[in-house]
Amino acid sequence: MDGGGSSSESPIKAKKSKSKTPRKPKETILKQKSPAEFFAENKNIAGFDNAGKSLYTTVRELVENSLDSAESISVLPVVEVTIEEINRSKFNSMIGLVDRERVDAALYDDYETEKAREKRLAKEARAQEIQAKNASLGKKGKEASATKGIKGRGEASFYRVTCKDNGKGMPHDDIPDMFGRVLSGTKYGLKQTRGKFGLGAKMALIWSKMSTGLPIEISSSMRKQNYISFCRLDIDIHKNIPHVHLHEKRENNEHWHGAEIQVVIEGNWTTYRSKILHYMRQMAVITPYAQFVFKFMSDAPDKNVTVSFARRTDVMPPIPLETKHHPSSVDLLLIKRLIAETSKQNLVQFLQHEFVNISKPYAERLIGELGADFNSKMAVKSLTSQQIVRIHQLFRQAKFDDPSGHCLSPAGEYNLRLGIIKELHPDMVATYSGSAQVFEGHPFIVEAGVSVGGKDVKQGLNIFRFANRIPLLFEQGADVVTRTALKRINWSSYKINQIQDKIGVFVSIVSTKIPFKGTGKEYIGDDITEIASAVKSAIQQCCIQLKSKILKKMQAREQQERKRNLNRYIPDASSAIYNILNTTPLHASKKLRSGGDEEELMRKVSENLITKETLIEKLAKYVEQVDYEMALEYATQSGVSEQPRETIYIQSLEAENKIVDLHAPFFVFRVVQ
Amino acid sequence: MADGKKRRRTDPTENSLPFKNKLKPDSVILETLKEFSTSSSASSSSSSAADKTLTLQDLSLPFRCREVADLSLSSVQSNIESLARKIAHSILTGNGFAFDVPSRSSANQLYVPELDRIVLKDKSSLRPFGNISTVRKSTITARILELIHQLCLKGIHVTKRDLFYTDVKLFKDQTQSDTVLDDVSCMLGCTRSSLNVVAAEKGVVVGRLIFSDNGDVIDCTKMGMGGKAIPPNIDRVGDMQSDALFILLVEKDAAYMRLAEDRFYNRFPCIIVTAKGQPDVSTRLFLRKMKMELKLPVLALVDSDPYGLKILSVYGCGSKNMSYDSAHLTTPDIKWLGVRPSDLDKYKIPEQCRLPMTEQDIKTGKDMLEEDFVKKNPGWVEELTLMVKTKQKAEIQALSTFGFQYLSEVYLPLKLQQKDWL
Repeated sequence: MDGGGSSSESPIKAKKSKSKTPRKPKETILKQKSPAEFFAENKNIAGFDNAGKSLYTTVRELVENSLDSAESISVLPVVEVTIEEINRSKFNSMIGLVDRERVDAALYDDYETEKAREKRLAKEARAQEIQAKNASLGKKGKEASATKGIKGRGEASFYRVTCKDNGKGMPHDDIPDMFGRVLSGTKYGLKQTRGKFGLGAKMALIWSKMSTGLPIEISSSMRKQNYISFCRLDIDIHKNIPHVHLHEKRENNEHWHGAEIQVVIEGNWTTYRSKILHYMRQMAVITPYAQFVFKFMSDAPDKNVTVSFARRTDVMPPIPLETKHHPSSVDLLLIKRLIAETSKQNLVQFLQHEFVNISKPYAERLIGELGADFNSKMAVKSLTSQQIVRIHQLFRQAKFDDPSGHCLSPAGEYNLRLGIIKELHPDMVATYSGSAQVFEGHPFIVEAGVSVGGKDVKQGLNIFRFANRIPLLFEQGADVVTRTALKRINWSSYKINQIQDKIGVFVSIVSTKIPFKGTGKEYIGDDITEIASAVKSAIQQCCIQLKSKILKKMQAREQQERKRNLNRYIPDASSAIYNILNTTPLHASKKLRSGGDEEELMRKVSENLITKETLIEKLAKYVEQVDYEMALEYATQSGVSEQPRETIYIQSLEAENKIVDLHAPFFVFRVVQ
Repeated sequence: MADGKKRRRTDPTENSLPFKNKLKPDSVILETLKEFSTSSSASSSSSSAADKTLTLQDLSLPFRCREVADLSLSSVQSNIESLARKIAHSILTGNGFAFDVPSRSSANQLYVPELDRIVLKDKSSLRPFGNISTVRKSTITARILELIHQLCLKGIHVTKRDLFYTDVKLFKDQTQSDTVLDDVSCMLGCTRSSLNVVAAEKGVVVGRLIFSDNGDVIDCTKMGMGGKAIPPNIDRVGDMQSDALFILLVEKDAAYMRLAEDRFYNRFPCIIVTAKGQPDVSTRLFLRKMKMELKLPVLALVDSDPYGLKILSVYGCGSKNMSYDSAHLTTPDIKWLGVRPSDLDKYKIPEQCRLPMTEQDIKTGKDMLEEDFVKKNPGWVEELTLMVKTKQKAEIQALSTFGFQYLSEVYLPLKLQQKDWL
């Protein structure tokens, strides 16, 4: 604890000294910043803009780590997230601080001055009066909201965030480094990953250190490990090294494997509640093979939330493979690094094995093109900087096959569809999975789903964006998916009403490198034509599927309502025609040829033999006949049978199958009950 | 001394109006105008003599066209009655009923260059009661027929709004009853005014014009600043007299107000008309009547944007919606006086008063370049091409940047002096 205290003080001191000495002639002191320090100062880059967002980002980083961990050992993930609200006095007692009563009340920001008090009382009185009035009038006005306690800026809320999973766990000795060292990670390399910076839990730890000063607690156990590693540590931001409080092995009785991470941070539940719940819900959509339990606990029981997202499938997308770089996407620095790291001796092997889409003959052709001072047998480590630049230039200009998408792991059409059905319960859903495409040497796959109707879906477009199978919730406006859905899709041509229908648009993009825009990595820019057109065509494909369904539905509805709709207009039409006949002046009808049909008609009208009722009756008969003919036509067209219903059978995973094994000397009978 | 001071004070303001010094005395301008007026009336009388022989029947077009005529009340009434009898007969024989409604879609429209207006071809569509998609429209059609029959019996006029309010529950929306009303007049083969249904007053006229409205003599120089509202039923209007030299057609109310308040028609004898934007039927009928009876040239003052030109086209060769009656609604030979795209530079209108054209504007402009009524006038094509090229538009009010009265004091007189119209 004290170690942490001293380290957090010093940056403040440094700042102070800076501000005090601006007038002195400037001494340029070369300073070095540790990565941890950098992220502590620029925490908005990693999504820790403010207390509320920090709570959200902490949850998401922990959840994503858990999913990665479970998927890496091909175990269906079970993730439990708990957020526990800690009030100030409880927090103070946790850090061993004595609660102090306010002595000088006027010193505080939330102190209510005499004037403000009068104002408030007057307002309350007025509100009461209105309520009394409403009550006397028998109106049911909305209940006066309970006066909210005024929260000053000093009144921070603290939360204990716990995330438990059934993943791989961590090796006992690596735990301190995995949490206490920023920019060290297992997920570096070229493959599709959930994490965005390799910060994950580390950033949460830095935030907890900044806001509460409390250490992080980690329990972890790997498979077939008979103990649980427990570690309590914090981070030395200056040196970017872990500061371990406690590191021990404990008993593991339940054969549990996975990790449980507990961190106490400052946050804001009230404003980010919906974001966190949305995140969990969308995560459940894109990973229907995982089971999530989310709990929020506080002192006030009515604020507590428990949501559980059940598992609906046991089909997991394959683990994304680590792939090699595509020649068109590398830069100078990367080539140098690959040269330094390669185990291959000569140039031709290096080109052939360290990059995708370079076969041996192609490598030799490339070397021939490079120039006279290159040959296939030359040692790759002996290349000069100039030669490397030449290689880079050729990589830029030469033609290579596009990288294939086999290293990607999209959610899969089936999973996406299931996720949508499970969480939204739409009336209709269509999904589409595009083939792999390429942007700047990185393959990407776009999958889309469009749903109509459903519960908890608002009218109009509801857009759900996923990048590398994590939901994106912020900065929706500029995103390629939002723009495409709003501006480039002509919904009405698919018989979808953009304003009234409840439309869900789900787009998941996976790539070895998602071209995020902005510091927060919260959206994908609209300026990449490859991605924009892929998104558009994926959504359109879904819409085309939906259109035929919608048309069929409309036809069926028309069938049912045709008679009613036609009958509705009979009285108006008949009375209009009858009134014209009835008010026709006598001299006009006298002009008619005597003995003709029209003359007889007018005579019958004037003698009341034909009345409005006659017309109504005849029209009703006609409608009956038309309806019968149309129904016959419809039946012959669409076939007698109803359209097949879509049924999905899902195996229940929670219930263990009861099996009885009948053993015989040579075989076993397994009876499933 | 005091006199000198006064002059000095007023002089700068006089000089501040650009191009004012180019103006010749009013008498000179009046001379040119008189010349123009007589020549145009001579040409129009000679051409109108030719026009009289030139109708749709004379053209012997390769297809049939539909045109409507002014019908008397009694013939409208008997048309409706015979239609109703046919329908009743059809219902009684158990076949339901259907209206045969002429199609007014743009596919059924045609611009005839010889007539310089849009006409309607003779395609028509059936509107049966027994179909879910047309049951509503055919019911509304029957109801409108009934209402017009009542009007015929009583011999009164109502507005479109009145008509709508007689059965709000069925019509739901005034646009529905309005379109069916046009369908009905097309179906009966008569003009909309013969149905005794009029639109609310929209257009106004001021200036050297005397006419009788329902028997009352109206002198448009004595109608105050706002002028006389153009009566919605043109059949009440008659006995037009005028000593004006031209008719000035103004797009906007604001410019009209300016000219009316400055009594522009007293400086240069003219009749000023505006329909406050897109012209309604009665304003178009009125303009045509003036042009035909008084044989005056028509000069138009519209915004320098594609919509200004579009409004000009509606006066000139008719709207697509009312193409079945284009013979009665269009006024031939309207001259485009201003504000033309070339005027923006000619009159040095400052940048801040010009607006950049939106993508929609540019598209409309380009579409207009393809329209026949623009193509037939090379000067217009040139101006419109310039507008699309510079991507700038300006309203009539942009001239106010040199002073509110610049329009009436300098711009219009100078334009008239230079005979700067196309």
